Amino acid sequence: MTAVSAATADVPLLEAKDISASYGHVHALKPTSLHVAEGELVTILGPNGAGKTTLMRALTRLTPSRGNVFFRGRDVSRLSTNRLARCGIVMVQEGRGLFSQMTVRENLVVGGYLHPGDIDTHLQAVFELFPRLKERLDQLAGTLSGGEQQMLAIGRALMAKPQLLMLDEPSLGLAPRVASEILGTLRELNRRGIGILLVEQKAPLALKLAQRVYVISLGRIVVELKTDEIESHHDLARYYLH
Amino acid sequence: MPSLVEFLQSIVNGIGLGLIYGLVGIGFCVIYNASGIVNFAQGVFVMLGGMVCQVLLAELGLPIWLAIMVTIPLVALSGMVMEFAIVRPMMHRGATLFAIILATLAAQIMIERITLITFGDRPRTFSEFTSGGPFKIGGVAIGYQLFWILGCGALLVFLLWLFFTRTRVGRALRACSQNSEAAQLLGVPVSQMMLVAFALSAALGAIAGILVTPTQYTAYNVGTPFGVNGFIAAIIGGFGRAGGALAGGLLLGVLQALAIVALGAGFKNVAALSALLVVLLLFPNGLFAGFGSAARSQ
Ligand SMILES: Nc1ncnc2c1ncn2[C@@H]1O[C@H](COP(=O)(O)OP(=O)(O)OP(=O)(O)O)[C@@H](O)[C@H]1O
Ligand SMILES: [Mg+2]
Repeated sequence: MTAVSAATADVPLLEAKDISASYGHVHALKPTSLHVAEGELVTILGPNGAGKTTLMRALTRLTPSRGNVFFRGRDVSRLSTNRLARCGIVMVQEGRGLFSQMTVRENLVVGGYLHPGDIDTHLQAVFELFPRLKERLDQLAGTLSGGEQQMLAIGRALMAKPQLLMLDEPSLGLAPRVASEILGTLRELNRRGIGILLVEQKAPLALKLAQRVYVISLGRIVVELKTDEIESHHDLARYYLH
Repeated sequence: MPSLVEFLQSIVNGIGLGLIYGLVGIGFCVIYNASGIVNFAQGVFVMLGGMVCQVLLAELGLPIWLAIMVTIPLVALSGMVMEFAIVRPMMHRGATLFAIILATLAAQIMIERITLITFGDRPRTFSEFTSGGPFKIGGVAIGYQLFWILGCGALLVFLLWLFFTRTRVGRALRACSQNSEAAQLLGVPVSQMMLVAFALSAALGAIAGILVTPTQYTAYNVGTPFGVNGFIAAIIGGFGRAGGALAGGLLLGVLQALAIVALGAGFKNVAALSALLVVLLLFPNGLFAGFGSAARSQ
């Protein structure tokens, strides 16, 4: 821990400066800056292929990226994915990324890899949030329903004690009701103090939830809005709130 | 026509050798699951196991238990060096899997040659762990070493199962093999897991080498046949499944032994390779792909 990282109110939880990534000659993510404040829930909106997943992967260094990332003021740009998890940056990938041939319990326990001493307490906390997981502990993750899989993915991420929880389209492929249940859980987690960076295409849901929204298009952030400004932003509203 | 006793005898012998192939096959699976690499140097660990143990026994005069306790970590270390010095740098530089696999083959040849230069080409062996025997049932002789092979083999399989299902590192290794990105996102250090996989796989090879050497001999070049047969065992079992590799090894060992009594020693490898071809033609994903989890078939 560096001195700067002391919980100064103005130091954002996560700050990315001019982060960019490309696949060969395709600049999928042009230099982009964003931040998530302590205790904030921020949503990234954007059409298919805009570069949302690329941005999330660049931030967690699953995809090599340029630019700088700071976590509570500490430069973490050169840290590998697993070291970032150690700092408290944990992501639920697009498509959930479960260990499908392992049981629900094993998925959760691997989620607690960094905190082997606290597994039981963390498991209880996850069961309180998602009681359905408790009934399916010995089922293979790959055989869960879509909604249950997403619960497991989030529960597993929580086992890693995130301070910033990143989620890439958690509601993808879920019935509206399950989707809003999941997003409701995220709001609850946020209330408990976990910073959340969420990619979400279901704009109405996302906007209801978020304190701030970045709109990304063609590999760059085109608009940044506080949610109370959104109603007045007619073009955007027409485009995303239909 | 060979007699019933001869057939039974060959099955007994085949089970012993087959278990050894199975252990080597599991070694292939451990590395493959962790990294996607087929480590062609797998047989070299078997050779090193027998060789190092023999040298410790014959030239340093260590007691057998101590020689074994020194040999296994030494060979495991050689596996870690292979990961650290060859596989990891190549992966970091974006080498294709084919290139890395070729590099493991080069490592195998290199280690064999170094062994040849250091220890000569004289075949070596050491005595069975327990003197006396063989144990006789009817006309079938079962050497005491076979009991050691079966006992240690069964124990190892049980320990491996415990490791992969009950320990933090073992579970993390399995997690890496299923989704390495997700494992990293949860804080699992994938590169350290690769080191563990290579160490474990080398240790398995070493144990196989130590167990089998008293029943035959070891020399700088015994690694290749063990490597090839272990690889066949793993493929028959549906590459990547430890249980399949074990079953594949037993099947292969018995088949080879039967081919030797029925058709003559020259047919040992003909039998092994025809079995491989038949399995690949009929069950391209291995004999046991239909059973249990069919996860690795894509
Ligand atoms: N591995 C890759 N190799 C080459 N191009 C890629 C790769 N991954 C993504 N791209 C390209 O980068 C662009 C951004 O993709 P990305 O997955 O980040 O979009 P997205 O906003 O997450 O889309 P979606 O809403 O469909 O998930 C796309 O044009 C895509 O084709
Ligand atoms: Mg995406």
